[in-house]
Amino acid sequence: MDPMTFSIIRHRLFRIVDEAVITLKHVSGSAITNEGHDLMVSLYRADGTLLMGGVGFLHHLTSAAEACKSIIRRFEGDIHEGDIFLLNDPYTAALHTSDIYLVSPIHHEGRLVAWSACFVHVYDIGAVNPGGFAPQAPDIYTEGFSSPGIRLVSGGEMRQDVLDTILNMVRSPEMVTLDLRSMIACNNVARDRMQSLMTKYGAEEVDTACAELVRQSEDLFRARLSELPDGQWQSRQYLDVNGVTARVNLTMTKREDRLIFDFSGSDPQSPYSINCTKWASLGGLFAPLFPLLCYDITWNEGVLRPVEMIAPEGSIVNCTRPAPVSVATVGAIQSVNNAACSTIGKMLGASEKYRDQSTAVWHANHFAIFKFGRNQKGSESIGILTETFAGAGGARSFADGVEIGGEIPNPISRMANVETVEAAFPVRYLFRRRAPDSGGPGEFRGGTGGELALVPHKAPDGGIHYVISGKGARHPMSEGLAGGYPGAPNSYVWIKAPEDGANAPVTAAGGLDAIPGTQERVSWGVYPLMGRDALYVRWNGGGGHGDPIVRDPDAVCRDVAAGLVTAQSAGDIYGVVLNDGAVDETETQAKRKGIRSARLAQEAAE
Amino acid sequence: MSDQDRISASVAVMEGQAVCAACGQDLGLATEPWKEHAQRREIPLAQAGGPAFDTGHEGVVLRHFYCPSCAALLDTETAMAEDPTLNDILASRG
Amino acid sequence: MAGTGETSYLVATDVGGTCTDTIIFGTDGVIHIGKALSTPPDFATGVLNSIVSAAEPMGLSLEELLVRTHLFIHGSTVVDNAVLTRDGTPTGLLTTQGFEDTLNVTRGAYGRWSGLTEDRIKNPVQTDRAPALAPRDAVVGIPERMDSDGEVVVPLDEAAVERAVRFLVEEKTVGAIAVSFLWSFLNTDHERQVRDIVRRVAPGAYVTLSSDIAPSPGEYERTSTAVINAYAGQITNDYLTSLQDLLAGKGYAGATMVMQGYGGLLPAAEAADRAVGMIECGPAAGVIGAKFLGDLMGDPDVIAADMGGTTFKVGVIQDGKLEYAREPMVDRFHYLAPKIEVVSIGAGGGSIISVDPRTGVPHVGPRSAGARPGPICYGQGGEEPTLTDVMLLIGYMDPGQFLGGSITLDREKAERIFKEKIADPLGVSTQEAAIGIYRIASAQITDLIREITVERGLDPRDFVLHSFGGSCGMLAAAFGRELSVRRVVIPYTASVNCAFGLVSADVAHEYSVTKSLPATTGAAEINAIFTPMEEQARAQLAAEGIAADRMRMKWSVDLRYSRQVHEVTTEIAAGSPLDDAGVAQLVDDFEALYERKYGRGSAYREAGIEMTMFRLTARGLMPRPTLPAEEEGETDASAARTGIRDIYVEAEGGMAPGDIYDFEKLSPGNHLKGPAVIHTPITTIALPDRMTARMDRWRNIVVEFDAD
Repeated sequence: MDPMTFSIIRHRLFRIVDEAVITLKHVSGSAITNEGHDLMVSLYRADGTLLMGGVGFLHHLTSAAEACKSIIRRFEGDIHEGDIFLLNDPYTAALHTSDIYLVSPIHHEGRLVAWSACFVHVYDIGAVNPGGFAPQAPDIYTEGFSSPGIRLVSGGEMRQDVLDTILNMVRSPEMVTLDLRSMIACNNVARDRMQSLMTKYGAEEVDTACAELVRQSEDLFRARLSELPDGQWQSRQYLDVNGVTARVNLTMTKREDRLIFDFSGSDPQSPYSINCTKWASLGGLFAPLFPLLCYDITWNEGVLRPVEMIAPEGSIVNCTRPAPVSVATVGAIQSVNNAACSTIGKMLGASEKYRDQSTAVWHANHFAIFKFGRNQKGSESIGILTETFAGAGGARSFADGVEIGGEIPNPISRMANVETVEAAFPVRYLFRRRAPDSGGPGEFRGGTGGELALVPHKAPDGGIHYVISGKGARHPMSEGLAGGYPGAPNSYVWIKAPEDGANAPVTAAGGLDAIPGTQERVSWGVYPLMGRDALYVRWNGGGGHGDPIVRDPDAVCRDVAAGLVTAQSAGDIYGVVLNDGAVDETETQAKRKGIRSARLAQEAAE
Repeated sequence: MSDQDRISASVAVMEGQAVCAACGQDLGLATEPWKEHAQRREIPLAQAGGPAFDTGHEGVVLRHFYCPSCAALLDTETAMAEDPTLNDILASRG
Repeated sequence: MAGTGETSYLVATDVGGTCTDTIIFGTDGVIHIGKALSTPPDFATGVLNSIVSAAEPMGLSLEELLVRTHLFIHGSTVVDNAVLTRDGTPTGLLTTQGFEDTLNVTRGAYGRWSGLTEDRIKNPVQTDRAPALAPRDAVVGIPERMDSDGEVVVPLDEAAVERAVRFLVEEKTVGAIAVSFLWSFLNTDHERQVRDIVRRVAPGAYVTLSSDIAPSPGEYERTSTAVINAYAGQITNDYLTSLQDLLAGKGYAGATMVMQGYGGLLPAAEAADRAVGMIECGPAAGVIGAKFLGDLMGDPDVIAADMGGTTFKVGVIQDGKLEYAREPMVDRFHYLAPKIEVVSIGAGGGSIISVDPRTGVPHVGPRSAGARPGPICYGQGGEEPTLTDVMLLIGYMDPGQFLGGSITLDREKAERIFKEKIADPLGVSTQEAAIGIYRIASAQITDLIREITVERGLDPRDFVLHSFGGSCGMLAAAFGRELSVRRVVIPYTASVNCAFGLVSADVAHEYSVTKSLPATTGAAEINAIFTPMEEQARAQLAAEGIAADRMRMKWSVDLRYSRQVHEVTTEIAAGSPLDDAGVAQLVDDFEALYERKYGRGSAYREAGIEMTMFRLTARGLMPRPTLPAEEEGETDASAARTGIRDIYVEAEGGMAPGDIYDFEKLSPGNHLKGPAVIHTPITTIALPDRMTARMDRWRNIVVEFDAD
């Protein structure tokens, strides 16, 4: 087709997604959607294949395509203009029950021509624990309302009986109403704008442009794959829950212009809700693939075609009903993200041309902590600790990772200000800052994660409770590259105030160990934050790149001065000797030489 | 595969052989697991990277793979003791 | 002050990134315009040059003009420039212990991606934070803490403050210190104590308190604001002082007023201590200018579009009201200060045209040839085709008519390179390719303006489009039609619009109190918040010489639905002091505004409504110069027609003859039919087919679309 018209239609499709995202955020008004950017909007062709993915939580792009396709199968012959379908069953297409898809057919002159889909993490879904992540759920039946596909809006009219039924099953039905309304408005905007695009250029012309866009993405991606070396790269992730460790094993094979992700050897599905279904795994591996390999290619079906996934049935990455999956997005899916980021990073590092695009694993482990309870204004509130979105960047082949730099699957997240949290919940922070030694050591260091401590403050009920679905406190998960260390693991500590009745700490600039009381590690379940107790959380840094003992000693010196690396690690891991805050060059050379001999001597002794 | 390719930023390829990118030490065929030719060491996680890595939990190690000649750290792996080595290999194109 | 009987003058000069513009209003009703190149970092030179260039045609020397000048109004990019070039004072930060990283950490990943285009955000591996203006080793945590009620949890450790100040000044050799403590906007005691200590220990250091400069919640943004202000404070002080000294040396004896980003004026002495206030004051003045024109022409809803060589700027005026930016940013740093929203996009006449070799798809931008080397046709070494070159190839620019004929455009070279780099790879003729690129540019601008209006819950069809800047006139009618705006106006003052905006502004102060109250709060409690602010404002204005009858107070409140993030500033429409009916009306107005902005179904009454911030805007009305208006005469424009040339005509799908007009020969009342091109001394206006233009009585060109 005419390249100018193609260019115009292409630009407009991008803007349609943008406008729909704006609408979603506007109507929803919730913090997780607006601040956490925990959302996604995308357009699909008439057959449900991905046409245009927006910048949101990227692991949803492929699952929402499957949601469209399953609605097409289920409702074939009964799909009408103005309908909107709801789907949140993980065994059909969704990632977990609280990420609801609303899928809307787009008609032009009476013919089904495209689909739009969006999701938000709804305020609550009626699972056994508030907020959607349900660490105490033994199966899918206790993870709240779920539907493999239901018509929520029929011919433009809300089906009130359906809506009332859904709202009858959730906490805070008003908040969930707003979430659903926002998704309806979002789909309406996408539909209206697609229809006017087709009115202006003709449905045929637009569809031709869409097909061309998909073909271009496929061609570009295959061409890129052909430029990369053929080979096989492996990675492994450990997820620990309540003392039980599960593995996600990945072998990624690249042959010419094809890429195969093989999860054979991954552990059987877990009794805990960290499992994920196969659609979720597919989404998980594409989340890093899009920005790492296709940063300059439109994210659509064309990128999917050269990729194959093998995920053994009944495993943690392709679980079978009724395994619980509510923590999947920060459980097995995130591990699939990490494993794929690791193998893709290795493959890019193997290419002269694309080495600068390779990265160690970023912020590999969300700590889903939902605070709930009565706040200082007397109202019941649920809220996620948004520090989990703050993340940490993985080291690159040419530079350190970005300190508290976010994550790959959700490139545009934010965390809330301390003042925002303290205004909404009866808590007070003792500190919030970058955590020393949390960035994976390397020639290029992983970006640091952070640490925080909270105490109850002026709480009407003496404190609050929180749901924690924390993993990664036993295994580092942000793997390094080319000799770089992984980022430090997460840490969740309940500090129980001393019995002697000493007052709650008013400040603890000295960090965790300056908080009086006994320390107990927590990771999974519902816990109190009451009275004079405190909660400490440290989140993981990014993986490092390259051997730490070749890191520029001045960079290590700066890190120590900034509190990002301890003096002890500077010596032990980086082999850098500091004197009065400056590098002692001679001592450093000797120290590094010593480390080298120790490395080989150790070997000789074995 | 060509000499332009590498297995990683730390392991290069020369005439079909994997070599240490720092010193050129031979690490076997690039189409076979090079780690078998590297010096391997397992460090308990608590001693691996300062206090932040001390999880209070036994059984997790950080594996190091060194160049047997220049002692460059070529790769690391987080592992439970019994788990196999992760292998990265190139395929010969043709 | 000028003597009686003699014409006296109001002089307004705006320093922009490239040009420094001056507009002079005489009491005789005549307007004079001047332009000179900006001269960073010594901007004052450009200011004087610009005033001289306006004075010369008046037959006056600089001294002769200034001695007859009663008011000088000024806007400048001095602060933007100091931040962009990292040319400010080395700055340290004192903050609450335990939160020393707040500035570096921003709000998580935010600082890594904020300010980047979507293309760059999609490749996170290549993104980084911008290094903070106060480096981490010049940040010192102070033992102290307030809670969310503003109550002291940990008292201020004064000895620690003194040690920290000595450390910053002596070891880190900072010249400026920002102070930002948690919750300081609710209780300013600790920050004020710190200021007293700094004054005693390091009297030479420039100090900014976050509770002074940005008394609002959100510690990251508040801290960032304090740091920017401290960093640029000394430069701003020095600049305004030296400019006033220079003018005084040339005989000027009047006051100097300085434009602020919120569109109001401050006396220079006050502006000097609020550096952040001057950020982007030029574009803000541009919007104020558009509003003034809109008011004059009876158009309360205006989209002001300004397209120059590198950037495309859009401001929106709705119902005569200006919109404030929610998250203002300079370079890649956030700050909290009231600022008129002007969305800036990297698109202009210098945008480079390319064809993606992998796909054969043409692109406009995002790279720009900027002012140097510029478009190929300028003959300054540009070798890459730009949008300006395309304008030349489709007949919208005349090689001999550019900037009044001062530069002859190289059409041959532009055509040759465009053919080789664009038309041939696309496999079409040069003309077809150029027309195609023009269509793409117009469509993309349409998309961007639509997105900007949608973000505000507005419909472009309700708006009049004002076109400013050197490149906008060639595209405005085309994208205006695609947006279905009511009409397009190319104002007479378009070339010096920001300077024009300066004289349309009033003295204004913004005050605010942060306090969370339910919407059911009684009027008395709300009045008790506003009354002291209003007293302070009246005293302030009086001190600036504003008479009581020229003071205007506007009360507004930020409201939101509980547990929702969107806050909407809602003006109190009822008289002040408020009664309970007035409070009820405020809440109703908020709900209506909320639904208009965020869409039907977005209101969430069930959760309850909260008031979060109380704002007072105090204005001192400035005498408004009147724009000279002429009678609209005959419609026949043939006297201004200078010829016929082939130009792009959409209905023909290609090039066809169009009428060429000389703007300076047009007179009010003249009607023109497209396809036509109007050449002005500084720009070109394209009038596509199926449109009509008219010169109105203020010499604005008003474009209407023919009914389909």
